[in-house]
Order: sequence, then structure tokens, then C-alpha cells
Amino acid sequence: MQKINVFRFSLTAVTFFITLLLVLAIGSLFVVPSLEDIRQNIWSPEMRFSLKLSLITGLTSTVLVMIFALPIGYTLSRFNFWGKGFVKTIIDMPIAFPELVLGLCLLLLFGNTAVGNLLSSAGLNFVFTKKGIVAAQFFTALPYAIRIMKSTFDYINPRIEFVSRSLGYSMFETFMNISLPLAKNGTLASTVISFARCIGTFGTVLILAGGSYMRTEVLPITLYLNISYGNMGMALTSGIVLMVVPFIAIFIFEKAEVSI
Amino acid sequence: MSFFKVDNLHIDLVEFQLRKVSFRLDQGDYMMIIGPTGAGKTILLESIVGFWKPEKGRIWLEDVEITPVPPERRKIGIVYQDYALIPHFTVFENIAYGLKKKTKYGISESVKDIAASLNIDHLLHRKPGTLSGGEQQRVALARSLVVEPKLLLMDEPFSALDPKTRRETRHLLLDVLKRRKTTVIHISHDLNDAWALANKLAIFRDGFLLQFGTIDEVFRRPQSRFIADFVGASLLDGTVLANGSGPCIIDVGDFQLLSTDYADEGSQVQVALRPEDIIVSKKYPSSISAQNIIRTKLKRLVPEGRASFLHLIANETELTVLVTNNAVTQLGVSPGDTIYAIIKSANVRIVGS
Repeated sequence: MQKINVFRFSLTAVTFFITLLLVLAIGSLFVVPSLEDIRQNIWSPEMRFSLKLSLITGLTSTVLVMIFALPIGYTLSRFNFWGKGFVKTIIDMPIAFPELVLGLCLLLLFGNTAVGNLLSSAGLNFVFTKKGIVAAQFFTALPYAIRIMKSTFDYINPRIEFVSRSLGYSMFETFMNISLPLAKNGTLASTVISFARCIGTFGTVLILAGGSYMRTEVLPITLYLNISYGNMGMALTSGIVLMVVPFIAIFIFEKAEVSI
Repeated sequence: MSFFKVDNLHIDLVEFQLRKVSFRLDQGDYMMIIGPTGAGKTILLESIVGFWKPEKGRIWLEDVEITPVPPERRKIGIVYQDYALIPHFTVFENIAYGLKKKTKYGISESVKDIAASLNIDHLLHRKPGTLSGGEQQRVALARSLVVEPKLLLMDEPFSALDPKTRRETRHLLLDVLKRRKTTVIHISHDLNDAWALANKLAIFRDGFLLQFGTIDEVFRRPQSRFIADFVGASLLDGTVLANGSGPCIIDVGDFQLLSTDYADEGSQVQVALRPEDIIVSKKYPSSISAQNIIRTKLKRLVPEGRASFLHLIANETELTVLVTNNAVTQLGVSPGDTIYAIIKSANVRIVGS
């Protein structure tokens, strides 16, 4: 009989203990409400509004995030320029920031300041509006997307791009012919993670867009509002919907086989 | 007027630097660059293609200054050690990639033609990831050659290949280059590459071009001990005793050497000797035309492939001689034996003072 290694056994036990707790926590979300409750809540006007708004803002923000993450990720991976260290630090900062603080910063910037007034006069008012939801989600998800895109481009051999240029293709043509197709998996992963992040953003949205009922109400806000009213059924249902999205996201992410 | 010219090039990247690099090439030249890792050789190639902007200095191709020209308009090809093939393209698409930018017609014919001459025509439908190292390198060569670059740069193209594949690739490459009269700059660690392919040789160290010349010049007249060690020559310090109508007499301490080269009387010089230029004999050769006969002792015998290096010592001065293994057997020498080293005075080269 093999002797049991105490060290290995205790470490595995700790791992399983935490996994079990998580499984129970996730499971209770599905066990506590009755199916009939969930069905009714999903079809309630509030939930339909919230789900629809979440999907529209989430998709819009994700598209915007990727439009910026691709060039910024490529810039940080390929080019050296003055102030690069500073740029990287600032861009990464929202990852470590509490969402509430990020929301507060954005609220102050887009509020009654020169920048805010300029944007308002251009029809872009972000304070307590649906546009504000997109802005909040955008700034929360962007650093993650940039990180994934940068590491994706880091893994592409720059010599392939060099050779392409020596064969007569400009920097832009090389980016389109070589770099972008080679970054396909990373781009997919980055998009999925961004979408999950956008859908789940709570603190930034709450502060910048305000959590107002049936106006700027996205799924996390629905959960929060209903918990505060004591309406457990609705809160649990929005929780379940919010769970499904990251599940699918992580599934696709694993398939794409890229690491952050 | 020269086909390709680099003039006083300075490059400053964080990890690597190049200083005061100047040389010229004629059309059809094959220049081999040799030097230790970190000497700045790759940076030189990548600056010639145009990936790095030099701090100082200029580059000319066919009498046009190309220093400000972007890489895509220089018509200079590059081949890397790690092949840098486009993984999501087939072999055909990889080779055709550069051609597609140049022309719309005859792409397929040109690709098949170059593929046939490099023995990769049976691989055209495959993806690079499924090929062996030697096959991938031939695809990379084909991709660069098919657009007929004015200048082809190669960064250690053979160093990831096994010796047999390396020899075969060398032969195929040489055939193709001869037909196309391509001018080449090639970085290598392998002196055999230089002998087999090149007519010009450059030695780099710490970002400086130490010596540049024909293969013969650099191998036979290395300008410093570092270069001599690198190309396998011995370098001896000496003083010129006499230089009259006859050969130049140089005192190298433990013995004197006669040389057909010229140097001022009394000057301090260095003398370069190639190991394959020295003949050995067990007996004193009484009637022989060679002017230098030095009595030495065999210190060590180091076999290397089909030949062996004999390390001879005359008092304190060491000489290295290259002889075939056959000759070693015939001579029947072993360490400690007395051996006479015979050197023609034309092979005693004064390389500078």
C-alpha cells in the first residue's frame, strides 16, 4: 500500500474544500427559487427592460472596447516611445481601482467641467444617461481587453512582420495581412472577456449612470435594487442571468487557448 | 561607384549598439559576417533592410541613398534563422506573398520554378508547421528569392539545421544564387559557410567591424589576435631585423622567420601563420626550397574530423599545424617527439605593426 503524503493530502483537501463551498454557493442560486418564479420574473417588464438594456449597452461597449484595444494593444506590444511606462501604468490602473472610484472619477470628469461641457454640447451627455452606462462599461472593460491584446501580439514573432515589409508591404498592409489574422484567437478571447466584464459592471455604472428604475437599469442594478426592496425572486433571477454570461464567456475563452 | 555601400553607420538600441560601420560591396558579392553573439550583427542586417533608423551614417544601394527609404521600397530581402514563415498560409501562399505585391501575372509559374530549384515543389500545398527545419528554411529562401531582391540578407540561415541538411541547403542555395547573380550578406557562426559560399568576409565584435576583406585576406592576414583566433590562424609578435634586397627577416623571440612581405627595419610587427600552410617532417629536410625550418616538439595531437591539429612548441612559441589523419599515421608521431615545421616565406604574412 502506498503511504499517504500528508503535505500533498492537506493541500488537495484545502483545494477541494474551497471548490465545494463555491459549488454550494453557485448551486444555491439555482436551488432556492422555484422554476415557476424564475419563469414569471424573466417575463416581467422590469427584467425584460433590464436584459434588453444590458445586451444593447454590453454589445455596444464591447465593440467600442475592441476598436480601441486592438490598436492600443499593438502599440504597447510593438512600439517604443517616450512615456511608454507612464502610459502602461495609467491604462492598467482601472484594473486595480475599485469600480466605485472609477465611476466617481468619470462622474467628475463628465460632469460640470470643460471636458464634460464640451462633450454635452456635442450631444454626448454621460451623466445619469444610457450613454453613461456604455461609458462606464467601456472604461471598466478596456484595460482587460488591452492586456489580452498586448500579450497576444507579444506572442507573434515580429520577424514575420519584418519579412512582410521587406517583401513590399507597408506597415498597415502587414498589420492587416499578418498580425491581425495571427491574433484571431486572442481577439476572440478579448472580445468575450470584455463582453462579460461589460455585462457585469456594477459600481462604475451605478455612480456614473445612476441606478434608476427602468431608466438606466442593467442586470446588476436590477439585482441590487430588488435586493434592497427585499424582492428576492427578481434578485435571484437577475443573478442567474448574470451567471450564464460569464459561464459561456469562460467556456469560449478556454476553447481559444490563450492566456492573459 | 559601388553597388552597395554602408558609410559610418551608428545604431543605438538599448541592448545592442553598432559603431562606425563602413564597407562596400560589388554586384554579385557574397559577404559573410562572423562574430560572437551580441556583436550587433543582426542589428546591422535589420538596419540595412530598414527596420531600425541609424543615429548616424548612410546606406547606398545602386548609388541611391536608401537611409530614409521605408523597408517596403528598398527591394532588400531577409531570411531568418527561425524561418519566420506565415503560419496560416500554405507554402505556395508564403512564396507567392511578395510576388502578389509586385505583379498579377505569372505568379504560379515563378513560384513553381523557384520551388523546383530548391526541391520543395512537392510541398506547395502544405502548411509550414508540418515541414522539417530544412524544408522550412528552403521555403523561406524561396520566398525571399522569388521577388528577385537587389540584395539578400541572411541571419544564420543554417544554424538550426543538422550538418547533412546544412550541406545540401548550401549547395541548393549556391546554385540558385549563381543563376540569379544575387548579392548576399550572410551572418554565420560556421567558418565552413564562409569557405563554401562567400568571397568577402567581415568580422564583428562589440558593435565594431574589426576587419573586412576578401576571404583570403582575412584568413591569411588577420589584423588582431581576436580575429586570428576566430579564423584559426596563429599570430606571433616580432621585430623586423633586416629588410634589404632579400626576404624580410623577423625575430619572433624563439626563432626567426623569413617573409616575402615588406616591413620597415626595426619595426614591431605581427606575423600570421595558417595551420594548413605549415608542413611537418620528422627528419631535418636537407634540401628543400622552403626558407623557414623550425625545430619544435609535439605538445598535443587533436583529431578533428578527417584532419588533425598538431600543437607544436619551440621553446615558448606555439605553432598549430593542420594535417590529414593519413599523414599522422604515416609520420607515426606521438607527443614529445621532435618535429621540424617547414614554412614557405610567402606564407609568412606580416599583418601590421
